[in-house]
Amino acid sequence: MEERVNQSKQPDIDEVAAFDCSHYVRLSGRQWLIVAAALLVFIAFAPLVWERIEGFNPGGDYRVPYELSNDYWLYHRHCRLACEQGKILVVGDSVVWGHYVEPDQTLSHYLNELSGSDAFVNLGADGTHPAALQGLLKYYGSDIAGRTVLLHLNPLWMSSSKHDLQTTKEFRFNHPDLVPQFTPKIPCYKAPLSTRIRIAIHREMPFANWTSHMRAAYFQNLDLAAWTIEHPYDCPVTAMTQKLPEPRAPERPPQTTSASKEPKKQDMAWVDLESSLQWHFFRQAVQRLQERGNNVFVLVGPFNEHMLTDQNKVTYGKLKEGVEAWLQANRIPYLMPAALPPECYIDASHPPAEGYALLAKSLMDSPSFKTVMLK
Amino acid sequence: MLFQTLPFLVFFAIVYPVYLLIKGTRLRLPWMLVISYAFYAWLGWPYLIPLAYATVVDYLVTGRMVKSRRPRAWLALSIANDLGVLIFFKYAGFIAENINFLLRSLGVSYVIPPVGFLLPAGLSFYILQSIGYTIDVYWGRTEREKNFLAYAAFVSFFPRLLAGPIERANHLLPQLHDNARVTLRDFTDGLSIFVVGYFKKVALADYLAMYVAKVYGDPGQFQAPALLLATFLFAWQIYFDFSGYTDMARGIARMMGIRLMRNFDNPYLAVSMGDFWKRWHISLSSWFRDYVYIPLGGNRRGKFATYRNVFIAMVLSGLWHGAAWTFVLWGVIHALGNFATREMERTAFYVHRLPRTVKQLFVFAIVTFAWIFFRAHSIGDAGTIVARIFTSGSANPAVPLWAMAMIAAVWAYQWLFESRLRWFLELAVVRVLLVISMLTYVVLTVRAEGTPFIYMQF
Repeated sequence: MEERVNQSKQPDIDEVAAFDCSHYVRLSGRQWLIVAAALLVFIAFAPLVWERIEGFNPGGDYRVPYELSNDYWLYHRHCRLACEQGKILVVGDSVVWGHYVEPDQTLSHYLNELSGSDAFVNLGADGTHPAALQGLLKYYGSDIAGRTVLLHLNPLWMSSSKHDLQTTKEFRFNHPDLVPQFTPKIPCYKAPLSTRIRIAIHREMPFANWTSHMRAAYFQNLDLAAWTIEHPYDCPVTAMTQKLPEPRAPERPPQTTSASKEPKKQDMAWVDLESSLQWHFFRQAVQRLQERGNNVFVLVGPFNEHMLTDQNKVTYGKLKEGVEAWLQANRIPYLMPAALPPECYIDASHPPAEGYALLAKSLMDSPSFKTVMLK
Repeated sequence: MLFQTLPFLVFFAIVYPVYLLIKGTRLRLPWMLVISYAFYAWLGWPYLIPLAYATVVDYLVTGRMVKSRRPRAWLALSIANDLGVLIFFKYAGFIAENINFLLRSLGVSYVIPPVGFLLPAGLSFYILQSIGYTIDVYWGRTEREKNFLAYAAFVSFFPRLLAGPIERANHLLPQLHDNARVTLRDFTDGLSIFVVGYFKKVALADYLAMYVAKVYGDPGQFQAPALLLATFLFAWQIYFDFSGYTDMARGIARMMGIRLMRNFDNPYLAVSMGDFWKRWHISLSSWFRDYVYIPLGGNRRGKFATYRNVFIAMVLSGLWHGAAWTFVLWGVIHALGNFATREMERTAFYVHRLPRTVKQLFVFAIVTFAWIFFRAHSIGDAGTIVARIFTSGSANPAVPLWAMAMIAAVWAYQWLFESRLRWFLELAVVRVLLVISMLTYVVLTVRAEGTPFIYMQF
């Protein structure tokens, strides 16, 4: 009887010959269904199981670590947790994230300090220009619904056609995986069709985002093959320590100090607001948040106007007027504070700790912000 | 368009259902031709020109050949035309370079201007297939194909267009004419074959390529252990890359109800060089056997003639791979290796006393040594590698243990497959678990964009 069972599991010689291969990895239709089911279960549940295994308890000043800026799975997780806890979400690029400052010196930290609560949470992501930000909110910020959101607009992204992604010459910009892959067309983005299709599929799949998280968090952003070449004698399994990097500030470049010396005056090639891609994407981001029933408050700048020539300040002023007009027309509460003192800038847009403290204060003093917060 | 990329998946998802719908109708052949040309044009539409040209000329010439009283002249014309296309695109630069070298050596100041034509992917494969067809028609081994669409589909059938297998007319053409049935078994078998090929390419070949490219990119910077290791890894890389391609090609064809010939049979288990060539790139080695080695006399005219014929076939095979002296040397080494194992096979010690594993390792060592010349960018680089293997230090080569473990696993599978324990691999549970493991590994770890297949450049 046992022999008969064994025989039934093994193919006969003709079957092997019919397959005509130098291996016998041959599955029937039913076996393929089993494989498909097993894979689907794995793909559906592996990220969920890992969430339980990997400790993640963000404290009051938590921000996604700099090394994991492209780890959208972790961002999504951070975002979901903040929404579940009913926090006020501070969303934006590296200005919100707090480039050059420690986690307890960021805008959200000072807002918490001034409000005497831990209601504000830092959902900034380094390098998220508006084109990327709208993608971040679309694909990884789906939990942001019915919440209060402080959304930052950094005018730096409109300070040249390159920042505005309008140059026809290809260049590498931050977060290409978050920008629209097909429409609207971004002139400087020339990824091949296969890459665009891959990205479009990837960001819809939690599993794919989870594998990216694993690479970013434990394998130095390398795939397993490249990592084993770099670490020939290490075991990949033990590399998965379940300890995420600390959200430290990246090193401040030596030339950019908060010394009060007069910055070099520059003429920036501000783009026309009407034709600006970044402005188009920023408006899209606001509209998306509003459609999800969020109370959106926009903080514009403040840009380091001390580094602009007088003539350039006029151009920049016109851009601000355009932004303000749109915000007013759409009844979006906002604050467009005056530039901080010169010593409160490290570069064109990033303040040091004292700058963030001042900015938080001007927000807390703003009646419209208070109104939004009370909602 | 590479089989392992998303655009191909999209392409196949569109063309395959249509193929299934019309497979029993007159539209089948036109559809196969359209999708094959579309597939090829994706790589570059100019590629279509030599393909169409070679197809039309061979079709017309064989038509005249079967009616002519001087078929040999038509055969010569067809072969000359096919070789002309090959030389024009592939060897013109190499020939010019060598003539210039000769002229320089003779003190002649004239220099042939550099020639650089776009080498169409897969050119050598379809040209060889076309030549084989014409010779078969001349010899009467196969009937001349009257239906132009069938002949054009035979030359351009997309799964095998870029890197073979180099099919024979009497094997593929009847399948194109048949009222194709595609059974569920064809589909599942095709999928099984494809998945194994896919795993070989994306999880193994592309992985090993990282280490190999690093070392072979600048061999002067590495010492003997790293050079040896990179050569060992290249032996497996090229096997996984090429057999992976073939598996994917055969898998796709099988899903369409068409069986392409087997091209690999666990070549690194070969016990002699002759055995190796019965297991490696079978469609090419059998082509050279049938259309070069045997017409030259094969082994029928004594030992010297036999070795001469082997030598010619091997050198031509080397030159077929690429227009460079490194490939010629690769062919020479294979010929010499063939002589060596042939002679050893005459001894009772080699045949009866030497353990099979030792023979396998010996053949593997010869083949791997030859790969140095295949992979090196130039004769100079190959010389540097060989010299440094014997003269440089013994710095830690940083052996990627993960890669070694994967190679060991594949080798163990192949060894089991050819042993009495094969029944174990045939157990349903083993097969299912293997496929789940391979696919899980791929979805977990592979993220790279598709890299081209090595043999596409030939």
